[in-house]
Amino acid sequence: MLKKLTRFYYPETIEDACKYLGSKDEKTAVIAGGTSEALRQDNSIEALVDISRVKELNHIRVDSSSIRIGAATPVQNIYKSTDLKGPAGELLKTVAGKIGSTLLRNSITAGGNLAAVFPWSDLLPAWLVLDAEVVLRKGKPKRTVPVENLLNEKPAKFMAPDEIIAEIIVPTAGKGTGTSFCKFAKTANDYSMITVAALISIKGDSIVKARLALNAVTIAPVRCHEAEKMLEGKKPTAQLFAEVATAVAEKTEVRKDFRASKEYKREVLEVLVRRSLEEACVRAGK
Amino acid sequence: MKINTTINGKKHCLDVKANAMLVDVLRAAGFKSVKFGCGEGMCGCCAVMINGKPRNSCITLAGLAEGAEILTVEGMGNPENPHALQQAFAESGSTQCGYCNPGSLIAAKALLDSNPNPTADDVKDALDGNLCRCTGYVKRIDAVLTAAKAVKKTSKTVRGKK
Repeated sequence: MLKKLTRFYYPETIEDACKYLGSKDEKTAVIAGGTSEALRQDNSIEALVDISRVKELNHIRVDSSSIRIGAATPVQNIYKSTDLKGPAGELLKTVAGKIGSTLLRNSITAGGNLAAVFPWSDLLPAWLVLDAEVVLRKGKPKRTVPVENLLNEKPAKFMAPDEIIAEIIVPTAGKGTGTSFCKFAKTANDYSMITVAALISIKGDSIVKARLALNAVTIAPVRCHEAEKMLEGKKPTAQLFAEVATAVAEKTEVRKDFRASKEYKREVLEVLVRRSLEEACVRAGK
Repeated sequence: MKINTTINGKKHCLDVKANAMLVDVLRAAGFKSVKFGCGEGMCGCCAVMINGKPRNSCITLAGLAEGAEILTVEGMGNPENPHALQQAFAESGSTQCGYCNPGSLIAAKALLDSNPNPTADDVKDALDGNLCRCTGYVKRIDAVLTAAKAVKKTSKTVRGKK
């Protein structure tokens, strides 16, 4: 793999990184933690642009309205962060801690999973339920787009060749909001077979905002818009959550792999969706 | 291409293939403590410290180590003067075949560097990427906890002497 690779570039700013990427003379690709690049069977890349030393890509900043995470921030830093709090921060910490192992979490980056989308990427459903936005930079110019748009159109198509993911912005959620994440895998370290993330906001006695997203059980991460509509405006009851879980399990296109049959995954999915919604609801009340 | 790194405190300029993995480069340079296991980042045999963070060297391209400080088990201690962790691993019987030990020791050192008073759960969390297929995990967890106490003791005496 990477048979044509001859050199690395080590830019220190986003502008410099984009310059190397825009080059017409050689085929380049971005690398940060390198976990997916190392396993990818790509023999056309001639140079890699290592963005792991770009300081403005490595940070976790929290203020009253948002959490901002630099794209090259290792997910271990998210897991161990003491700044991340509240329903959004707690969800990110929980999910980050369930990714691979310590050794992998030190390599895997927050933005890497958005650049190369894998079914087993645990953070993707979390970004979706948190209504996260991505800052894309093309040198100085930047645009901010919802994570959902980037994922739906596939990052490789959505982004220009000289554009990089710079930052992920997550709005913080206040009181009355609860989040939850369920991961199903053969062992704690194995690739996820099912991931479910949920967010529920309650005002008075009804659900004012619901978010539900899946990954691993599907080919690509999905947000369950229909399920969200079933929840919003209703009273949060065990029966409602069970109905939504049944509907999600029925409608989801389950990915086939050697770990388990589609039928089995569908049954587990139903349980996990119900559990996530119940858990998010309980936390929303706290 | 050439990469400049500091390995166990000494500067090295290594001639490497651009697509070479760090594990192969380190072994070729004589750091044989670094073991090749699964080759896909699942077993942790190949763990080395890169700028203070333990990572799998089998899925880390050597080029990413440019300018980095690398620590392997050779840099932790030797049979005459072992690190407290190495001593504890040997004394507790955390070694049968020993193949996973270098990676586990690196992960354990990273833990003690950031948290001198770990609980058993902290140890399990820090060593979650290091598979052991013969000794098991109980002795290894005990060893890290024993070593943590030993490290604290020595650092106290050193401070006391000063």
